[in-house]
Amino acid sequence: MKTFRTMLKTELKLSLRGMDMFIFAICVPLVVLIILGVIYGSKPAFDGADYTFLEQSFGALATISICAGGVMGLPLVVSDYRSRHILKRYKVTPVSPSMILFVQVAIYTLYAVLSLILLYLAATVFFGFQFHGSFISFLGGYLLVIVSMFSIGMMVGGIAPNTKIAGVIASVLYFPMLIFSGATLPYEVMPAALQKVADILPLTQGIKLLKAASLGLHEESQAISVMIMFAIAVICTGISLKFFKWE
Amino acid sequence: MQEVIKIEQLTKSYGRLLAVDNLSLSVKSGTVFGLLGANGAGKSTTIECILGTKKADGGQISVLGMNPHTNRKSLFEKVGVQFQETNYQEQITVGELCEVTACLYRNAVNPSDLLTRFGIADKQKSPVKDLSGGQRQRLFIVLALIPNPEVVFLDELTTGLDARARREVWQILSDLKEKGLTIFLTSHFMDEVEALCDQICILKQGKMVFYGTVSEAIKNSSCDRFEDAYLWYTDEEGKNSENF
Repeated sequence: MKTFRTMLKTELKLSLRGMDMFIFAICVPLVVLIILGVIYGSKPAFDGADYTFLEQSFGALATISICAGGVMGLPLVVSDYRSRHILKRYKVTPVSPSMILFVQVAIYTLYAVLSLILLYLAATVFFGFQFHGSFISFLGGYLLVIVSMFSIGMMVGGIAPNTKIAGVIASVLYFPMLIFSGATLPYEVMPAALQKVADILPLTQGIKLLKAASLGLHEESQAISVMIMFAIAVICTGISLKFFKWE
Repeated sequence: MQEVIKIEQLTKSYGRLLAVDNLSLSVKSGTVFGLLGANGAGKSTTIECILGTKKADGGQISVLGMNPHTNRKSLFEKVGVQFQETNYQEQITVGELCEVTACLYRNAVNPSDLLTRFGIADKQKSPVKDLSGGQRQRLFIVLALIPNPEVVFLDELTTGLDARARREVWQILSDLKEKGLTIFLTSHFMDEVEALCDQICILKQGKMVFYGTVSEAIKNSSCDRFEDAYLWYTDEEGKNSENF
């Protein structure tokens, strides 16, 4: 436990020193929230809706931080630590190198949770946000999105041959998901054709789950979304476990 | 004297390339052992097989009476390692790297004491990447000593250092040996090997071409100086004169 605490403290300091996760996982979601809040104010989501546009978007905004940490932060740090032989160095200590990966997962989870809390506070204080649904199912969905996104990141970081390729794959995953899965650009304002494309992205399914949970809606497609997220988590974790390159 | 490292018939190949061929050696407690050879002769592969970061194709390896694969956790409480490559996080400071290294071991020494002993206590807040070559190598020795080890592995510790910094590192290693530490090192500097090593093994294309003391190495060759003897064993001198 002492080992984990000390490593977490040090790696968190290093991560904050890098600043990029602070910007992409903490600041970006808040900025998007404020922009949507200013544009749509407390207008209803559509005519006759009993929730506001911002309330509808909350579930989506909550995933920006997960997406940044999972498909950008994790792959880069994992491949960087491999190329610097840090993972190999842990192999000649009493502590397993998987400990440092576990610490990284904990750090990106902390970013995600902090972002969620800040978004909730900002939305409530500035834009009269109300949470209509069930906290339990929202947190369950949130955890599922974290697990599936982080498993994608761990897979990319674990099998990309070098830091450069990991960076390219991370960008290819991150930017389309950030823009087209509804995390920043609301799914509801997309043209129907774009919505169809968005549906392919795994994060879109996660966002649908979180939206339904935060608005208290019950749709039949939710079960499919849960299964897709779950399948991604299982497949990517399996691939990471089997093909992870320590050096 | 007790055997700290014992290797019997170690063999390791990468595809069709035989990197280490049937190597046997043993290192006694409190001695300095030097593994020599040209680049690509199999030194690093041998160290990595001993440490278990590479899996040997054949042979027996025991360190402190333990198997590096099956007794990893207990073995590495007592073994300090310095690999050839840099292996620290880009932005990490000296103090943080020491703290995080110490937290991996049950009986870690206080890193501040070691940093003071090696004259870099004032660098705790500096990023590791900003240290000079000599300071960084001293830090790496500190990291290898943090577990309070019984044996340390140092892979080309003085490569890239100037003459003065190398002498400083020698002095440190001699002092550690005086205190009873077993040291396994690789080096390209024959003056260093002469000054430090009790026993040496010279590798050539994965095969052992000499095993014994430095003076035996000179005596069994046709040369008067150790560096010449080393080149004689590894046959580099012959090749060089052909090129001329």
